[in-house]
Amino acid sequence: MEMVQFKELLFEKGREVGFTDMEIYYQAERETTVRVFRGEIDAYNIAEKAGLSFRGVIGGKMGYSYTEKIDADSVDLLLQEARENAAILEQSESEEIFAGSERYVELRDQSQQLRELTPDVLIDTAKAMEAAALAHDPRVEMVNSCMTVNSETELTIMNTKGLNCHTKDNLVIGYISALAKEDGVVSSAAKGEYSLRNIEEVNAAELAQTAASEAVGKLGAQTIESGQYPVILRNETASTLLKAFVSVFSGESASKGLTLLQDRVGQKVAGENVTIIDDPHRTDAPGSTPFDSEGMATARHDVVRNGELVTFLHNLKTAKHFGVESTGNAYKASYRGSVSVQPNNLVLEPGDRSLDELIAGTERGLMLVELQGVHAGTNAVSGDFSLACIGHLIENGKIVRPVNQITVSGNILELLNNVEAIGNDLKFDGYGRGAVGAPSIKIKSLAIAGK
Amino acid sequence: MLNQALVEDILYAALETGGDFAEIFVEDKTSSSIQMLGGTVDTAMSGRDFGVGIRILNGVFAVYAYTNDFSRENLIKVARNAAQAIRGQKQDIRIDLRKSLVTPHHELKLLPSDVSKARKIEYMRRAHIAASEYDPVISQTRVIYLDDDQKVLIANSEGLFVEDRRAHNRLQIEAIASNGSEKQSGQYGPGAHSGLEFLDNLDIEWYAREAARTAKTMIHAEFAPSGKIPVIIDNEFGGVIFHEACGHGLEATSVAKGASVFAGKLGELVASPLVTAIDDGTIKNAWGSLNIDDEGSPTQRNVLIENGVLKGYLIDKLGSRKMGMASTGSARRQNYQFAPTSRMNNTFIAGGNSTPEEIIANTEYGLYAKYMGGGSVNTATGDFNFAVREGYIVRNGKIEKPVRGATLIGKGIEVLQKIDMVGNNLAFGQGMCGSISGSIPADVGQPMIRVSELTVGGR
Repeated sequence: MEMVQFKELLFEKGREVGFTDMEIYYQAERETTVRVFRGEIDAYNIAEKAGLSFRGVIGGKMGYSYTEKIDADSVDLLLQEARENAAILEQSESEEIFAGSERYVELRDQSQQLRELTPDVLIDTAKAMEAAALAHDPRVEMVNSCMTVNSETELTIMNTKGLNCHTKDNLVIGYISALAKEDGVVSSAAKGEYSLRNIEEVNAAELAQTAASEAVGKLGAQTIESGQYPVILRNETASTLLKAFVSVFSGESASKGLTLLQDRVGQKVAGENVTIIDDPHRTDAPGSTPFDSEGMATARHDVVRNGELVTFLHNLKTAKHFGVESTGNAYKASYRGSVSVQPNNLVLEPGDRSLDELIAGTERGLMLVELQGVHAGTNAVSGDFSLACIGHLIENGKIVRPVNQITVSGNILELLNNVEAIGNDLKFDGYGRGAVGAPSIKIKSLAIAGK
Repeated sequence: MLNQALVEDILYAALETGGDFAEIFVEDKTSSSIQMLGGTVDTAMSGRDFGVGIRILNGVFAVYAYTNDFSRENLIKVARNAAQAIRGQKQDIRIDLRKSLVTPHHELKLLPSDVSKARKIEYMRRAHIAASEYDPVISQTRVIYLDDDQKVLIANSEGLFVEDRRAHNRLQIEAIASNGSEKQSGQYGPGAHSGLEFLDNLDIEWYAREAARTAKTMIHAEFAPSGKIPVIIDNEFGGVIFHEACGHGLEATSVAKGASVFAGKLGELVASPLVTAIDDGTIKNAWGSLNIDDEGSPTQRNVLIENGVLKGYLIDKLGSRKMGMASTGSARRQNYQFAPTSRMNNTFIAGGNSTPEEIIANTEYGLYAKYMGGGSVNTATGDFNFAVREGYIVRNGKIEKPVRGATLIGKGIEVLQKIDMVGNNLAFGQGMCGSISGSIPADVGQPMIRVSELTVGGR
């Protein structure tokens, strides 16, 4: 069934049963994934998925429902479920359907090459990655995961207030995990890279070599004495940690009393050297978008400026709660989700030091290159974290040996108040909306548990 | 869902380029979720997933494609497109579909659609009231209700044609304690592969008070110490340690590649002789149980480790081809968007002889992890990590004081070998297990166990 036709039928029947404002959010994705193992294609996946989210106001409340089966039969199901879901809502503040912004930024279409990419290129790239990792060092025993993914996502939001927003995004990903082995001990390192433009930017050979050399570099890792250490969070660990705590900046968390930054807008919450910006229009970042999940035009916002909390991130409902304007951060994880709040591209502003300089400036400390179990070892409500990790010991400004079987623990706010130096090597965690990026950062002191 | 003739045509189309096996997985699932925050329902979502997954095997090469456009024309096209990845000679395979009936071992009395949303929020309200009235220190509650009702059709070129229905429901209860600027939370998430009779018969108030008790205990707790010390891990969700540290390493996905520390160790002593570990997909109405797995094979009870000796792996069809071993009914997937692979159902360490009181009384100094949180594992290196949700210091055989913020780290085989006491109080906890075929419900379980030495990360 054609989407426009389906929408007309849905809105017409919706009005008949008592919905006033209504909206559909339609997402369609095509994706090809190639996995390679020992020079052969190990798996080849072709995905075509589409789903439709409906929301509508009935009895003054917003009801939601979704379906992946888009046919006339689903119209009644969508309306009935949304009506029942609205009926049980008990909160006084309600969402609203948005009529549209005056203007939207035009993001440059960069992805012509990706739309024309053939499966053979994905296969060749994956095979080349695996070969490059194996050839890099004889201690690389195996590439236990090696894949390339090319995807195209289309999103359409249309509503009865006349909003009609549409985007099409392309993304290519390379991912490789290498195992190194020496004296019966195994170590591993995984690396991923994406591009919104072309497969060359994934730098497949370099990615593979980095994974291989990092796996080898972890061989012979030992624990260290427990204690307080100066710690460099290399860029990917800094962005992973910041992402785990991103809800502390969410207006939704704030409206529910679930952030440790409660009531702290306008106050110092981090060190003077910390600035955090949400910029939805970067050309190099995976979360860029001209409109948010409510159809509102996105914009760049300072979240923390020189240590001061400038604003929480908001959608229409949380903005109304605090009597401010939405920051254009309405977010739906997919057509199965309701509207929440997420950053678009939240970035801890880089400094001017290279990672090498950060290392050279450390007399005795640790550089962490991998954090494990982040979903389990972080508490976004309290800000506390305690995470298993892998890193390297630094002595007299030089890396001396790999370290594992340790944990790093602390509190995210204490950490943001103890940043000694900031690197210039910004890296994003994740590939889609809700992206968070950070450069390498050096923390004055963190608790390390070892032996 | 799809008629037999169409299924047959799709399977034939999939085999046109030389594949030796084709399979179709059709799914029609309704799900709903409701969130109650501080006693007020603030989110309600429900809907329908519908899609078709087509898999073609050629030896150990697998192609997978899926779509939710279920027109005949499109399904045949998707099968042919997928087949393009196999460049061989068409084989002479005759498909003779025989409809087989599933024996339902897990009774579903009250399906989610039989129960009104008003009644569903009453379960939630009971949890909210019990948790918030537990103590004035409880400042917030969050209760999430989840249900699903999944109909599947699985057919393959070997003649299998089978349909099944699965239903789950779960209540996730979180209580948050506040003390000035500080917050700590306690959680409990009972669930089952069952109808809503599960929640009717559940002592919801007990679970809610227990979540509140954890939050209250942790707000008054000091930070855990660091170092290598004996660790006692209690029953139920404590079994996450075996699930993460060993279970994933026993899945064909990593064993077949030789990328697991357990590869090639069948018949060897890999654990303390006190340890017997089992994965059982047949436990009546358990959260991770199924009548048939997602390739249509009946689930079974698989002994993984017996008295410390490695006895078996968890194997799906593709793993079976790669390893030359029989499938163990362990193929699972989140939904039609994932090719099935070897996964756990309900995995547990079997009960031993010690009473919990004996284990604590026999521990001079150590950490007692009453409730575990989540964790992760690198199956290649065996490195694991787990968060302790509620922990205590044990001194001179007695529980001394609560501690917060502890993380347990170690290596899978090492920890198995260091289990020196196994309790007699086997019980299960519910979790969502994530891996390459998506997120699936799985029970973890164990009695109380003691590990002679484990690294505790505190601060």
